[in-house]
Amino acid sequence: MAEMKKIRVPMREQPVENRIRNFDSVPLGYSEDEAMAEAQRCIQCKDPACETKCPVNMKIRKMVERIAEGSFKEAFLIAKEDNPIPAISGRVCPQESQCEGICTMGKKADAINIGKLGAFLGDWAMQNEVTEELHIDKRDKRIAVIGSGPAGISCAIDLRKLGYQVTLLEALHIAGGVLHYGIPAFRLPKDIVDYELSQLQKIGVDIRLNNIVGQNVMLDELRQQFDAIFIGTGAGAPRFLNIEGEALMGVYSANEFLIRINLMKAYDFPEHDTPIVCGNRVGIIGAGNVAMDAARCAVRLGAKDVYILYRRTKKESPAREEELQHALEEGIIFEELVNPTRLLGNKDGWVTGIELTRMKLGEPDRSGRPRPVKIEGSEFTMELDTVVNALGTKPNRLFLDKTPELEVTSWGGIKVNEKLMTNIEGVFAGGDATSGGATVIQALGEGRTAAASIHDYLLGT
Amino acid sequence: MTHRITRKKDLNSMDYLIEVEAPMVAERFQPGNFAVLITVPQGERIPMSIQKAEDGKITMFIKRLGKTSIELDGFEVDDSLDAVIGPMGNPPELKRYGNVVFASDLVCGHAENYALCKALQKIEGNHVISIQTFPSKDDIYPQEELSEAFCDEYYLTTLDGSQGIKGHYTDILKDFLDNGKVDIIFAGGDIPALRDLATLTKPYGVPTIVTVRQIMIDATGMCGSCRVFVDGEMKLTCIDGPMFDAHKLDFEDIINRLAMFKKKESQAMEYYNRKTGAK
Repeated sequence: MAEMKKIRVPMREQPVENRIRNFDSVPLGYSEDEAMAEAQRCIQCKDPACETKCPVNMKIRKMVERIAEGSFKEAFLIAKEDNPIPAISGRVCPQESQCEGICTMGKKADAINIGKLGAFLGDWAMQNEVTEELHIDKRDKRIAVIGSGPAGISCAIDLRKLGYQVTLLEALHIAGGVLHYGIPAFRLPKDIVDYELSQLQKIGVDIRLNNIVGQNVMLDELRQQFDAIFIGTGAGAPRFLNIEGEALMGVYSANEFLIRINLMKAYDFPEHDTPIVCGNRVGIIGAGNVAMDAARCAVRLGAKDVYILYRRTKKESPAREEELQHALEEGIIFEELVNPTRLLGNKDGWVTGIELTRMKLGEPDRSGRPRPVKIEGSEFTMELDTVVNALGTKPNRLFLDKTPELEVTSWGGIKVNEKLMTNIEGVFAGGDATSGGATVIQALGEGRTAAASIHDYLLGT
Repeated sequence: MTHRITRKKDLNSMDYLIEVEAPMVAERFQPGNFAVLITVPQGERIPMSIQKAEDGKITMFIKRLGKTSIELDGFEVDDSLDAVIGPMGNPPELKRYGNVVFASDLVCGHAENYALCKALQKIEGNHVISIQTFPSKDDIYPQEELSEAFCDEYYLTTLDGSQGIKGHYTDILKDFLDNGKVDIIFAGGDIPALRDLATLTKPYGVPTIVTVRQIMIDATGMCGSCRVFVDGEMKLTCIDGPMFDAHKLDFEDIINRLAMFKKKESQAMEYYNRKTGAK
């Protein structure tokens, strides 16, 4: 193997000193030449493991081969066969634990940068106005898809391609779900999300904003109006710590922090109306992707010291490798092996600090990661003026409370069978609403599975 | 979906009324529901009380208080809002309560007063008492926007005594409570006044249900910004409220947290004034 081929074609990025002052994309994307060079590193395995590790089983080998030849349109169409939004998944998939993690090249050299090649194809198609040529045979049956996040998008596309009349209901005033309100623009530029949604409309999906199922539209009504329903309502409700001081000002759920910034564009205040108050010493509780997103947003809002407060160590962080690396480059400080016990405030009701307990790593728990164990008497305090709780989210009870007929698990996830049908005939569900919180690509895959199940269901097979 | 303004008029020097086309909200509105407005595409999502809903239109009472409400005041009939979303929140049960009071002292509370009195009066067995407090004679809303036509007893108070009874609604309620005249009290408006109301009614054991204002963004249970504490338990104003048992609410927390974005609110106002050349 030539030495050159061992190393990835580097991804050009905004230099750290620039990017910490804006919300523009950090990776600048491969050029056509760079994409070809990176694709040419692929040794075209006979049994491509990357494909088996892909939650939607993209035909990665063929896709990469076409890129290597410079046949971008063909490559794009191959990607689209299994993945309706490669520009998005390429940016947000945890490739290191999927396709790239098992890449044969990765055993002795750098794995092929499959994620960035996928993103390249999506971007290339957008720039060159290349789309799939679809011949949609009309079917009369009507389907409602609730939620316009990754699961809803993929389900709606597949059903529309099959010819069904698809209505996509979104609770917020902007479609895209977590792709819009959750993931910051420096990781997933919003014009890409908007473009993918405009493609949905172009093929005839009816997107209805401000339709809050459970609040101003009831599931029952939808069941009367539609022949089948897919619920892709995600896991958009914050979990709180339930510790003292959580009501203090300057304490946010990561959802609030990110919704203000991503959906409402608080970083552009006062040009945009929604404000955000972010101080100089920010503590982010948790170390997943959402925590990294919140931390990197805080840096961009001008915070001087941003801490990730985590009860394990960097090594156990569930965040994508790229996010972790970007966060560290941007000066985020990892305060490892600490667990919050209470938040401290001043007489005006503003947060002033946090009390933490030192932890050590014990035996592996069910997740396979070492269990953090409290070190008795190790409490200490840290001065902070902003605290963001990024301990994860759960399915929104606004929808679930108003649909008691829908069976849920003890933690509020919607119960489904192997065909992703809920206990209600003709009502299917997938994505974070059933899993509780997984990846975009997982949700996307489940949206596709549900679409296939709905098709079978409507055909009576 | 366009949300055209069909009627707009001043209620007093600070408050105005606006009627907009919002068929989805109007069709499903129940007294106590609120709407979320977005005035312009770069605007914020603001919760707003609804006075009435008819013919696909909703009417709201709004105070010229911050950037958004002042900007919206610049809109005229036939202009359109970017979005009118809802109805949001949980309305109270419309049933026979007996002697039921609705008391209000601020714009949002007055809208709810009107909506709820009108609905409760239609239910047999209810004796509806409406109390509306204004600072002074000049601040009193036009007669047709008051709740007087929809209640069995009506009391108008002004803080300076320039018209109606002198004092705040809490002053009148004390007599009612002493006379054992009240079965349940609903109230909306100024939060510190609602706290005082809770303190007043608690010893009498009269159920007191108040509308809470707290800062909201999505108003669908996603952000947690509008969290309040009811008997120590965290609730969200948007999806669990906006009406709560006043005797169980942590008012200090609500009042505190409402101030979180004060500085930003004045910044937004200054920026808007500079941009529009207003003084």
